[in-house]
Amino acid sequence: MTFLQALVYFAREAWLNLVRSWKVSLLAVLTIAVSLFLGGVFLLAATNLSARVSQWSTEAKLLVYLDAEALDAERTALEELAREPSWVIGVESVSAEEAQERFRRQLPGLADLVEDLPASLEVGYRLEAATDPGFAAWVERLRQAPASGSVDDDRDWIAQLRTTIRLARMVGLILGAVLLGAAVFTIASVIRLTAYLYRDEIAIMRLVGATEFFIRGPFWVEGFFQGLLGGLVALGGLWGFYRLVLQGSSDPSLLQSLLSVRFLTAGEAVAVVLLGGLAGLVGAAVSLRRELLTPRAETPGPVTA
Amino acid sequence: MIQFFHVGKRYPGGQQALQDVTFRIPRGEFVFLTGASGAGKTTLLKLIFREEVPSEGQILVNGRNVSSIPRAKIPYLRRTIGVVFQNFRLIPRKTVFENVTYLPRILGQDLKSQKKVAYQALRRVGLAHRLNAFPMELSGGEQQRVAIARALISEPELLIADEPTGNLDPDLSWEILKLFLEINRRGTTLLIATHDRNTIQRVGRRVLTLAEGRLVGDESLRGSEPLPGDEPVYAPHRGEGAETVPDPESEAGAGTAEPTGWHGLEDAS
Repeated sequence: MTFLQALVYFAREAWLNLVRSWKVSLLAVLTIAVSLFLGGVFLLAATNLSARVSQWSTEAKLLVYLDAEALDAERTALEELAREPSWVIGVESVSAEEAQERFRRQLPGLADLVEDLPASLEVGYRLEAATDPGFAAWVERLRQAPASGSVDDDRDWIAQLRTTIRLARMVGLILGAVLLGAAVFTIASVIRLTAYLYRDEIAIMRLVGATEFFIRGPFWVEGFFQGLLGGLVALGGLWGFYRLVLQGSSDPSLLQSLLSVRFLTAGEAVAVVLLGGLAGLVGAAVSLRRELLTPRAETPGPVTA
Repeated sequence: MIQFFHVGKRYPGGQQALQDVTFRIPRGEFVFLTGASGAGKTTLLKLIFREEVPSEGQILVNGRNVSSIPRAKIPYLRRTIGVVFQNFRLIPRKTVFENVTYLPRILGQDLKSQKKVAYQALRRVGLAHRLNAFPMELSGGEQQRVAIARALISEPELLIADEPTGNLDPDLSWEILKLFLEINRRGTTLLIATHDRNTIQRVGRRVLTLAEGRLVGDESLRGSEPLPGDEPVYAPHRGEGAETVPDPESEAGAGTAEPTGWHGLEDAS
C-alpha cells in the first residue's frame, strides 16, 4: 500500500469513526472550538489594538494649548519652535471656535458642560522620535514658551496602550495554552475511548498483519479531523463575534471601536484552524498506548446452529 | 515448517507456561495440540505468531527465527500465518465480506481484487453466497467458517487454530474439522489446539500433548471415522494405529522433559 493509499484509507476510516461516535466527537470538537475561540478573541483584541496603535503612531500628536493672553509675536515664536525639529510632520493651528466645534461634534452629550476651549497648536510627529534624547527637551521648551498654556502629549497614553496590548497578548497566550491543553486532553480521551471501543477490530488487524502505522493512522487522522473541525467552528464563532459584537453596533463603545479595526488575516485564520488540527493530532498520539489496544477477554460459550 | 528447540515461556508474574518444549512439524502436516486447560496450548500457539516471546529456546517458522524478529517485522510474519480462534473474533458491525478482507485492505488491494479473493476464500468454506451477511445472521458454524475464510484469504502456508470447535456442537464441530482436513489436503500445514478427545479420536493424525507446560506426548493416530479421500499424509511418529485417545488430564508423567509418548495409551502397534 502506498503512502497516499494509506492516507485515503485513514481519512475514510477516521470519518466513519467520527460519524459512528458523533456524540463524543461533537464533545471533542466543541471543547477545542471553545478553547480556540477564547484564545482567538484575545488574538483578535491584541491584533486590533496593535493595528490601532500603529495607526496612532503614524499620527501621534502633541497639543500645545495657547495662553489666551499671549501676543501674536509670542504665538508665532511658539509655532516656529514647534516646527523646528526634523521629527515634526506638521503643525496645525486650531482656533478656540474650531476647538469648541470639534468637541461638540465628537462628544455631543458633554457639549454643554464645556465652554471657552483654548486655541491650540496640533503638532504631528513621528512616534519613534519620542525616544530621542532631544525630544523631551523640545517638549519642555514648548511648555516654557510664553505663549504656551499647557502641553498635552500622546506618549504616555500610547505607552499605556502598548502595555495593555502586551498584557492582552500574554493573557491570551496563557489562557489559550491552558484551554488548548484541556482540548488536547479531551481529544485524547475521546480517541482513547474510540480505540477502546474498537480494540477487538484492532486485535484482528494486528493478527492478520497490519502494521502499527496502519492501525494507528485512522486514529491520528480522526484526532486531526476533530481538531480541524473545532478550529473551523472557532473561526466561525470569531467571525460572528467580530461582525455582530464589535462591528454590529451603530453606537460603538470605545472598546468596540478599538477592537474593530480588522478581522484576522487569512494567515492568522488558517493558523487558528491548523492549531486545532495539531492539538487533535497531539491528543490522538498521546492517547494510543499499546495496552489500550489489546482485545477484551474471551468469553467462550456454546453456540449452536 | 515449525521447529521448537527447548522452548520455555515464563510470564512476568512468574508463571511457567512452557518448559523445554522441542518438536518439529514438517510442511503439509496436520497436527493436533492437546492437553488440559492451562497446559500451555494457547501460549504455544501465541509463540508461533509472535504474540508472545519465548523466555528460553528458539522457534523457527518457515525457516525464520520468530524469537529474533524485530517488532516492526512481526506483521509480515503474521501475513504468512492464518489464525482461527474459539470465539471466531468476527466484528459484528462488519459484513462477511468486510470481515474476511482485512488483509487485502491492509495490502492496499482495490475493491475488485478484494471481492475476488473474498469470493475465493468464502467458496472454499462454502459461504460464497453470504458475502453481504452480518455475523449475527450466521450460525456458529458459519461464523467459524467465515473466520477460517479470513485466515485463508492470503493462502497461508500455515494455519493455526485455538480450540476452533470449542464453541460449537458436535455436528458443527465435525463440519469444521472436515473443512480443516480439506484445507490440509491442499497443502496447508495445520496445527489445531483442542482438548476435545472425541474430535482427535475421530480424525486421527499426529497429536502433540502438553501437560503443565511440558510436551509429554507426540503420537500419530489413525482416525476412527474414515473420511472421503482421506489418506495419511504424515509420517508415523509414535504409537501409530492407536484407536483411542486417553484423557490428557489423567495422565501420569506430566513434566517429563522428553516427548515420551502418550502415557496410559494402549499401544496398538
